[in-house]
Amino acid sequence: MRPATLFRLSTAGTRTDTLRTVLTGTSAALAGTVMLAAVTVAAVQGGEPLEQPDGTAWLAPGAEHYTSPLLREPGLRPGVIFGLLLLTLPVLALAGQCIRLGAPARDRRLAAIRLAGATPGQAVLIAVAETIVASILGSAAGLGIYLGLRRILHEPGPGGSLRLPTDVFPDPVPLVAALLAVPVLAGLIGLIMMRGVAVTPLGVIRRQRGRGPRPWPGLAIAVGILLFNVPVWLSDRMVLSGYVFGALMLAGAALVMVGVVVGTGWISYTAGWLLHRFGRGPVTLLAGRRMMADPWNGSRTLGALLGATVIGGAAMGYHALFVTQGRAEDRFSVLIGMPPDPEHAAFYVNATRLVLIAVGAGVAVSAAGMLVALAESVVSRRRTYAALTAAGTPGRTLAGTLLWQTLAPLVPALGLAVVSGLVLVRSLYHEVTVGGGTTETCTDPAADPDTCARTVQTDPVVTLPVPVPWEQLMLLCGGTVLTMLVVAGIGMLVLRGSTDLEEIRAV
Amino acid sequence: MTTPLLTATGITKDYGATPALRGVDVRVTEGEIVAVTGPSGCGKSTLLHCLSGILRADRGSVIFRDQDIGSWSEAARSRLRRTEFGVLFQFGQMVPELTAAENVGLPLLLAGSGRREARQAALDWLDRFGVADVADQMPGAMSGGQQQRCAVARAMVTRPRVLFADEPTGALDQLNGEQVMQAIVRTVREEGTSVVLVTHEAPVAAYADREIVLRDGAVDPTGLGVAAP
Amino acid sequence: MSTAHVLLGLLAGGPRHGYDLKRAHDERLPQAKPLAYGQVYATLGRLERDGFVEPSAHEQDGGPERTAYTLTHSGRDRLAQWLTEIEPPAPYVTSTLFAKVVVALLAADADRARDYLAAQRAAHMARLRELTAVKSAPGATVGDVVAADYAIGHLDADLRWLQTTLARVADLQKEVTA
Repeated sequence: MRPATLFRLSTAGTRTDTLRTVLTGTSAALAGTVMLAAVTVAAVQGGEPLEQPDGTAWLAPGAEHYTSPLLREPGLRPGVIFGLLLLTLPVLALAGQCIRLGAPARDRRLAAIRLAGATPGQAVLIAVAETIVASILGSAAGLGIYLGLRRILHEPGPGGSLRLPTDVFPDPVPLVAALLAVPVLAGLIGLIMMRGVAVTPLGVIRRQRGRGPRPWPGLAIAVGILLFNVPVWLSDRMVLSGYVFGALMLAGAALVMVGVVVGTGWISYTAGWLLHRFGRGPVTLLAGRRMMADPWNGSRTLGALLGATVIGGAAMGYHALFVTQGRAEDRFSVLIGMPPDPEHAAFYVNATRLVLIAVGAGVAVSAAGMLVALAESVVSRRRTYAALTAAGTPGRTLAGTLLWQTLAPLVPALGLAVVSGLVLVRSLYHEVTVGGGTTETCTDPAADPDTCARTVQTDPVVTLPVPVPWEQLMLLCGGTVLTMLVVAGIGMLVLRGSTDLEEIRAV
Repeated sequence: MTTPLLTATGITKDYGATPALRGVDVRVTEGEIVAVTGPSGCGKSTLLHCLSGILRADRGSVIFRDQDIGSWSEAARSRLRRTEFGVLFQFGQMVPELTAAENVGLPLLLAGSGRREARQAALDWLDRFGVADVADQMPGAMSGGQQQRCAVARAMVTRPRVLFADEPTGALDQLNGEQVMQAIVRTVREEGTSVVLVTHEAPVAAYADREIVLRDGAVDPTGLGVAAP
Repeated sequence: MSTAHVLLGLLAGGPRHGYDLKRAHDERLPQAKPLAYGQVYATLGRLERDGFVEPSAHEQDGGPERTAYTLTHSGRDRLAQWLTEIEPPAPYVTSTLFAKVVVALLAADADRARDYLAAQRAAHMARLRELTAVKSAPGATVGDVVAADYAIGHLDADLRWLQTTLARVADLQKEVTA
């Protein structure tokens, strides 16, 4: 198959295909922009202490004009990069999950292509190529957005101070890597999504697994949390570069996300089984059976959302940590008779707040994907809905079914996601200790610092437990559930249109 | 004496500017099987949908047991369809995630029966249609004939007064179609159910007591269903 | 069609006399035109003349003389040959239905042909319903069902032809009267 053929076949499609492609491209653009931002931060130099020949330490030049310490201090920059990369994960998940959207029309097309002589591999390639093509376009758009934002946000303050690193440009190698990472990762996720989908000449078959999903992904979550802890444990014993530190944590967080997303299959299956087993009416029967029949539907459609909430949980953990840290420092300052430094605590809190806003955006993005997925699943089952309606099934029964099958896997999966994210952080820090250091001072002001008489002063110790941020957790879960309720509500509108009797006659 | 169960008068229905039915009269008596035939696009299915209350006619009345169901709300007609009426289509009416027994028991659950009761009734009906052995299979694992038999069982499980069947054998081969028709006719005769049977096949229409031929949305008295050139 | 071959087939199971053969014929081929006694004996006479059957025994217990016939060797061969012979698939279109439509157009007009077709359709449908009732009856044997299905299939073919011909009456008339 020549590339031109592949391109032509992967871009042939109808309106729903366009929708999917646009969604894939949009998420790729978003992920690309964020990745470029991360690469830009990585390009910032300066701020490191430089040992001068005379024994004093100077700060390396290059970063002193940034207003935010996040950019100014070299110790914080890897954290920023880490946070940004973490944010791209759910967005990339969304790009990848789009491959399973817009299915009926594309499934027919893929089957027709197989009928015309394509091999199974070629058919999957065509499907994945569409995602890759859309992601490349999205990535390019991301570059455009990035360049545009650089221009718009470049506002030097008095004395050349900058709020954002709009004056540095990423090195070419990381730049290209970031641009390519988006389509490659989206393609990979798409490829994983297409596993278990057999494109036959007679139609696309989603392989039924003989047994329901198993709860093994729970193990991945546990391993991910351990991995997240490894760099902290190691850095107590050896010198770790900031990037290795970040990479290990990123890997741990990614593993937790994968565990949560894949684990949703088991949650969905089990919730379905419970509904089927203990439910009484037709609503729970229909919803429960549907969840058992396709437990991975939740993983596919909720993947991005759950990824975002894992990060949300983690961000809340950090938020609680920093707030406590600030409180502990204030108390410490009071104890040693110094005025509290409000700016210091506020800085961290603001940083995590930014992440929370980003998580909110992630939830919104994945809600959009969820809506498309839900509409898609309703439309692809319109025959059944129309037949049920014709047989006198009330609209509220069908709507109730839709609501159950949306929320029953979502609520426990959401809980798991938020708790996993929170535990990630709490496994590292569940209390904050400030002070306890010792300072030596010469009691004789004129003496030589090496030989003078000294007093050793031990600072007071302030230890505060980091509270579980229940209110925020509730807010995150509640907000997400509310968003999903809105999505399910819109899905019900689609449902009303899909019970049209004409669908029964359509072959 | 045969009493009219369902009487439709002057049924008219347009799809936008396209007239589908223009003043059709139908009378179905207790226990009678009426075939509605005619060429493609003559309005057979639309007539069935209007008679069964799935669609509301633009003009005309559909009287079931002295009540004009055309004036009822969608919810009331829905209730009617799952109690007094049974509906059967060509294919694809089974919920793919439910077992045969759950599919057949579904109308009873909708009517408020308990799980156990619904399952027992479903098993009985599956047995009557000779498909008790697939009770715990999913529709996807069954043959077309088995699926359609389950669909008939589901349509009959509430013991409806009228069964509306739209090309019930349309997706089956001849032998399976035969067997399904035989099963339907035997059961409705036993139950005294009236049937409105839409088909374009003469051998299927021959199972009916009477035939109404439609042409261009109106009853064709010649029975030919073909326009005079 | 050959009543002769059917009789040979019925004798394959053992000797039978004429009355027996008639009954067996009517039972095995339900919905076929019932066989007349005269035809049974005339046919048996011809078969005996050609050496395919021979009288096996005479029974005369009080009633009329009854001759049982048995299959000869050459009769068995003839039967086997007939069963392997392929029937020519409709070599000539010889149907009164078809002829009537053409003649109606020649001798009368399109309306006459159309009226005839409509009446014929009604008659066909009535017969179709009758046959369906026969095979749906509670005590129907497989033989009944097979026979009814055969007739139903043919009537259905006629009905389809009627329907399509009706749409072509006007064109056919142009051609016939040209």
